Amino acid sequence: MRGLNYTFAETADAAVTQFAEAGGSARYIAGGTNIYDLMKLGIERPAHLIDVSRIEGLDAIETDGDVLRFGGRALMADVARAPVVRDEYPVLAESLLKAASQQLRNMATVGGNLLQRTRCMYFRNGAGSSTTVGVYLCNKREPGSGCAALGGLDRTQAVLGTSEACTAVAPGDWPVALAAMDATIEVFGPEGTRNIPIADFYLLPGDTPHREFNINPGELVTAITVRKTPAGRTSTYHKIRDRESYAFALASAAVAVEMDGDAVRTARIALGGVATTPWRASAAERVVVGSSLTPELALEAGHAAFTEARPGQHNAFKVELGARVIADALIIAAQRRV
Amino acid sequence: MPAEVFSDIARVDARGKVLGQTQYGADMHLPGMLYAMLVPATVAKGAVSNIDITPATETSGVVRVLSLGDFPTLSPEINYLGYPIAMVVAETLEAAIEGAEAITATYETAPFIPLMDSPGATVVPSEGFDTGDVDTEFQNAAEIVEGTFETPAQHHNAMELFGTVAHWSGGRLTVYEGCQNSDSARNALAEAMGISPELVTVKSDYVGGGFGQKSPPKLQTALVAEAARLTQRPVKLVTPRGQLFHIANYRPRSIHNIRLTANSEGRLTAIDYDVVQENWPDGGFRSNGYHEDVARLYAIGNLRATAGDIYIDRNMPRHTRGTHPFPAGFALESAIDEMAYRLGVDPVQLRLDHEATTDIIVGQPLAPHFLNDCLREGARRFDWSRRTPEPGSMTLEDGTLVGLGVACGIFGASGSAAETTLRVRADGTTRIISSGHEMGQGIRTAVANAIVQGLDVNPDRIEILLGDTSVGPQMATVGERGTASIIPATVKAVQALRARFEELAGPNPPAGNLHQQLARLKRPYIEVTASELAPGQDASALEAFRTGRRAGAGSEYPGFTSMSYIAQFVEIHIEPGTRRIRMPRAVSIADIGRVVSPRTARGQMHGGVVWGFSTALREQSEVDPRFAGYLNDDLADYVMAVNADIGEVDVGLIDKPDTMVNSAGVKGMGELVMLGTAPAIANAIYHATGKRIRKLPIRIEDVL
Repeated sequence: MRGLNYTFAETADAAVTQFAEAGGSARYIAGGTNIYDLMKLGIERPAHLIDVSRIEGLDAIETDGDVLRFGGRALMADVARAPVVRDEYPVLAESLLKAASQQLRNMATVGGNLLQRTRCMYFRNGAGSSTTVGVYLCNKREPGSGCAALGGLDRTQAVLGTSEACTAVAPGDWPVALAAMDATIEVFGPEGTRNIPIADFYLLPGDTPHREFNINPGELVTAITVRKTPAGRTSTYHKIRDRESYAFALASAAVAVEMDGDAVRTARIALGGVATTPWRASAAERVVVGSSLTPELALEAGHAAFTEARPGQHNAFKVELGARVIADALIIAAQRRV
Repeated sequence: MPAEVFSDIARVDARGKVLGQTQYGADMHLPGMLYAMLVPATVAKGAVSNIDITPATETSGVVRVLSLGDFPTLSPEINYLGYPIAMVVAETLEAAIEGAEAITATYETAPFIPLMDSPGATVVPSEGFDTGDVDTEFQNAAEIVEGTFETPAQHHNAMELFGTVAHWSGGRLTVYEGCQNSDSARNALAEAMGISPELVTVKSDYVGGGFGQKSPPKLQTALVAEAARLTQRPVKLVTPRGQLFHIANYRPRSIHNIRLTANSEGRLTAIDYDVVQENWPDGGFRSNGYHEDVARLYAIGNLRATAGDIYIDRNMPRHTRGTHPFPAGFALESAIDEMAYRLGVDPVQLRLDHEATTDIIVGQPLAPHFLNDCLREGARRFDWSRRTPEPGSMTLEDGTLVGLGVACGIFGASGSAAETTLRVRADGTTRIISSGHEMGQGIRTAVANAIVQGLDVNPDRIEILLGDTSVGPQMATVGERGTASIIPATVKAVQALRARFEELAGPNPPAGNLHQQLARLKRPYIEVTASELAPGQDASALEAFRTGRRAGAGSEYPGFTSMSYIAQFVEIHIEPGTRRIRMPRAVSIADIGRVVSPRTARGQMHGGVVWGFSTALREQSEVDPRFAGYLNDDLADYVMAVNADIGEVDVGLIDKPDTMVNSAGVKGMGELVMLGTAPAIANAIYHATGKRIRKLPIRIEDVL
């Protein structure tokens, strides 16, 4: 029988030490909502799980200072209902509340959420587990083996940031909101603490799609920080999906703006569901900044985000859908100014 | 009895289910039980050239591996991806999984046809149907509507997976398994094991959803029984959903070409209909059944129907809730809507004006029915009169497009010979040996209601035995005939028991309820057995029922045909920007004859609208043709409707008996209730956008 060690770490130091001692086959576990799924699918086969869900202080939600600071093991549900997040940063709260289901949000952590693996069906199927059938090649699972999604059923695949090796969509909602809000990811590992701007946290697939995160073995996400900004109030996370809950985005947009009357002073726009990483749409931002926001301009901004899009056989609709999601999100966000 | 309206009672099994006490097949735990896991083939077609089971036999905890040659179904020939080539039996589920995953095989592969439109796929025609003079009507037609409609492969996805627990004792085999046909499962097991059916018991007291997928005997059941025989220990197998997608049955994809004519007076005159579906040679779901029910929906006198099958190298498609009338109804009811626009007639009025009285398939009268009552009541509740017909003419302030759509559904009211034994005891209890399967539809509640409406017995102390071959014959609960078959027999038993009691008690019966009266008469119990046949059946049908063979009849009976009917009204909102499609409101009104159990009937109707919505806007089994495999083979990726998708659903029942179909006036509804919603939604989307979408599921990209 395959064995599995399961240990608890009481501190971040202890977690990192245990990881080092366990060697390469260890994984951290907090809510378990993704790692268990991946284990069931045969994609992850760890020999050692290190439970970090008891580390004291790692669940803190601090909103008093100049930055919002969310501990890595703070629950999605708790962050979403923190008063400052709920009232002053709707883009953050909505990105959490429109993800998964209440049961999952009660278990999943905001740190673990950053590391959620793709929902690409070719990635999920074919790792040889009893819950799946068939053999599907995937460069993420087996580097260099090939990508069955290319030339396959690609309706839900990415149109931005793709490569010849991988078109898998980054699945998260929360990371998209964080990308719009220029969050910083704090990780702790054998070399100490690193602070990584979210723009540098996610890696484009290129020819190494198995490398998804700028994080080293043994490093643990200890916190996420977001610098406070009045743009938080005039923000939204707009998500379009194949059903109204419990579904990943076909296209989503995190938008926060600062308005001068009808004119846009600053804009932050990030996209989900359409790209291989949480996707900051700077081109769209440039279209609206300094102009007065009309539905036509909002749509123009949306289209600007997709000029580099490379759709496949069945997902070309994401280009137009994504543009309209940005347009609607801009209008919704701007209407929230007081 | 048909004259009486049944009052509402609560679900008799709700409490146990809410408390998690209800036991399903896979909940059975027996001492010394072993766990099994199947090993699916990894190619779509060919043969296993070599299989290495050693890594499994060497896995600690593995007790036995059944591999090629160990059982007739474990053959090297592979006809579809996922076909089980071995089964690992172990002390724990974890060991069984580990063993199964360690088995490797090599294959000689053969070319395969994964989809009905794959290169090399050819149509094999099946027998058609022709009545009237379709060609003349087309020559004389004032309007012709034509279109090609497509519905996708869809899996049933009951919550309960296929779970089997098999146990031998003293040469007798007992199997616990959720199924819709435990007698047929028993007969199949007896044949596979080479023993008499008397030595086999199948217990299926509760089924966690069937929808047709659990009606034929399952591939796994005999294999599990064989493993239990070989190991001399109980064995359990719960097949994972990903495997079920590949080996269990599903709704075939089908393509329908329909042409509909109207004359210059606005009368619908002819239907020219052609269908092809994916199938197996000698498959269990015939291609020439699509036109039959829908041809009875309206008074349209001329019909030509042609049909064909395209053989594919995937698992076998079979009956799925709504069966033939679902895809065919999507085609016909969309065409009717389009014709209403051509004729400038309201689509409700066009349907009212074509009430059918004749079954043109058989050429005999239809039993009295109330589709037009459904349409009128639905239109009233829905406030249909506010609809302005011009597409795109109804909008909300924010630019949201509003579409109002209507469509109807029809399904054959079949029945089965059935027998039941009712015993009321002086100790306050009642027991009925009933027949059928409780799949969540509420057959136990219907039986209980038939008893409490006719007898003064303790309503909470009724034991209803069914689904278990050891208590009595268990009829196939398929084609929405379970309740419609057992209730007439139950009502007769109730009447017979009352008569027996009156005879016993004489002119001055003692006081109290029936139990107290029996006690006062010093009678421990009274028992009666009653049987009922479907119209036209003779004693041989009852004999077939008693021996677990086919005992069904209808919907075509000698001298008449009986059908169930439904009218669906939906309101669709489409957001102006992203074109997100929502359904804030639906009204669903059905004619199912006499309603025996109002509570569960209404529950079925709500569920039917949800299922109809889901088939229209959500569900599709996605096959990658390069592998002939289903990619979205779990409940996360096979997108079904969720609560947040469904707006207000208002359901109603006409509740008038069908005086011809059986003595209780009861018709079925399990299939019917999901019909009509999909075309109503497509029609509403046309009304909202001016775009006629003829392919399901309709997705956001179709209206973008």
